[in-house]
Amino acid sequence: MLRKLMKHEFRATARVMGPLYLVLIITALGTNLSVRGMADSGNLFLNLLGAMVAVAFTVAILGVCLMSFALMIQRFHHNLLRDEGYLMFTLPVSVHQQVWSKIIVSAVWFFLTGAAVMLSLMMISLDVGVIQGFFRGLRAFFQAITAYYALNGTAILLELLVLFFVGCAALCLQFYAAMAVGNSFANHKTALSVVFFFVFQFATQFISSLLLSGLDTPGMAQFLANLDFQLRGMAAIHAGIALMTLLTAIDGAVFYVITVYFLKNRLNLE
Amino acid sequence: MKWEFSNDAPIYTQLVGQIKMGIVSGSFPTGERLPSVRDLATEAGVNPNTMQRALTELERDGLVYSQRTAGRFVTEDQAMINQVKKDLARGHIQAFMQAMTLLGYTREEIIALLEQQGQEQKKGEDEHGSTAL
Amino acid sequence: MEALRCDGLCKQYGKIEALSDVSLQIEPGRIVGLLGPNGSGKTTLIKLANGLLTPTSGAISICGVAPGKDSHRLVSYLPERTAIPTWMSAGQLLDFYGDFYEDFRRSAAEEMLSHLGIPLTQRIKQMSKGTREKAQLIMVMSRAAKLYLLDEPIGGVDPATRDYILSTIIGNYNPEAAVVISTHLIADVEKVLDDVVFLDRGRVVLRSSVDEIREEKGMSVDALFREVFKC
Repeated sequence: MLRKLMKHEFRATARVMGPLYLVLIITALGTNLSVRGMADSGNLFLNLLGAMVAVAFTVAILGVCLMSFALMIQRFHHNLLRDEGYLMFTLPVSVHQQVWSKIIVSAVWFFLTGAAVMLSLMMISLDVGVIQGFFRGLRAFFQAITAYYALNGTAILLELLVLFFVGCAALCLQFYAAMAVGNSFANHKTALSVVFFFVFQFATQFISSLLLSGLDTPGMAQFLANLDFQLRGMAAIHAGIALMTLLTAIDGAVFYVITVYFLKNRLNLE
Repeated sequence: MKWEFSNDAPIYTQLVGQIKMGIVSGSFPTGERLPSVRDLATEAGVNPNTMQRALTELERDGLVYSQRTAGRFVTEDQAMINQVKKDLARGHIQAFMQAMTLLGYTREEIIALLEQQGQEQKKGEDEHGSTAL
Repeated sequence: MEALRCDGLCKQYGKIEALSDVSLQIEPGRIVGLLGPNGSGKTTLIKLANGLLTPTSGAISICGVAPGKDSHRLVSYLPERTAIPTWMSAGQLLDFYGDFYEDFRRSAAEEMLSHLGIPLTQRIKQMSKGTREKAQLIMVMSRAAKLYLLDEPIGGVDPATRDYILSTIIGNYNPEAAVVISTHLIADVEKVLDDVVFLDRGRVVLRSSVDEIREEKGMSVDALFREVFKC
């Protein structure tokens, strides 16, 4: 059922993101042309057109980034907490599946948006060779670190991808939790959602600073000094990524529990 | 066929009455197959269970009969249909007599009135017929 | 087994008691009117049966299953509000129902849509309010469910649409299922009901069959309702 939820979630979002990506690519191509020819043509009209295309490209980048973010919020709010919630919460699926479908689809769009922006940035540079060069460079980089540290460079890439996904999930869940809590009230649902978002933000920061100050005690310093292991090179990077992933996952898990609890027990559709 | 319901009697008895009327007037011809319960119910805008109850009652009276697979049929017994027709007519007459008695007419006056009315109607129809020619 | 069963069901919103001690059994094959004035707890009861609310105390079950993922397979629910996503086309809506409900009769739904002259490419957004409601009803009635919960299906529509909605309900429901219709427009639904449940301020005040009321009291359910709920 998760697969079916995701299918329809992609249907709902692709009709917004697809055209935006298309605009991004077209304006990138346009900017490429303007950089190559129009700007130096000496023709006032072409100069102006070139400048406008470049501005449109900047707006398009901003647009896709903002839209993938806004869509994450809008889909959760609109599809689950407003009228459509009557339909969604009476489907033969669990609340967990509902939340996961939203997280996964949002994360995929964040990833695709990042990829599309990078691709478009490459496209405005002069020619196709640059793009080929980028990928060639990327491969060389991984081959180099693999050779140098005798570790698999692609493993790092995969770990970073996992971190990216966990990070996206945690980000989404903080918004979801705020909306789920805010909308459980009878009135001022939206205002309360915003308030709870900042409450959560504050709480996260407070707890993480508590943890940091906890690290900064003589006892902890002693403990760390006495630790008898050493991490070098890639191993240290692996460990660092793993730790970051873990902390982000804990952060996300807390918001996940809040979101699911409020959707299950405190749902308050109008 | 038009279905109408009043507020004071159970729906199924009203359905029985209206289907009887339909059979007598030929809306449901003798020996013909009746529509399915659900179709009849949808047409009349009533609950299928209620329609079922009405048809069961008509079956008990023998006015309709069911054949296991083919469905429900109107009886072919013309004598029975005539009897139902007579019963219906008697019902109407009784109601009419009651209303007229309330208005203060005697039996004789009512019959006289009926005859007069009948002649006028006939005359009207004849005139209408001749002008139409 | 009962299609719907409530035992000592209570629901409070803060201090306000929306339902108090409701015990009710609805058998398969019956069309039941859940009748009461606004705010009598009709919608609360239906939401509880759909798991959209959790009871304060007491129990509710559908064919022996507690409300949730598994009961949703058995229940076809028409909410008071139009809940179908407006960005979808009629065809995508059919896909949606077909994907999630095994008992969805797609061909029946398609036939009803074409009967109304709704092309599959038309978006819900482009439909009038009345057409949206009809489209939603078609989806709900195209399921061969065990229990239909219809919350105010004829509220706020014109008389012609009312007739269409009622005939769609009686023409399409699964005869082995129970149908619960909540409404305050009794005169219009009376003919299609087997039984009625009167709700007043969260309590069941009357449970009877329509024939019984008409036979024993010699009045329509509508007239009785006016008498019971006289202001």
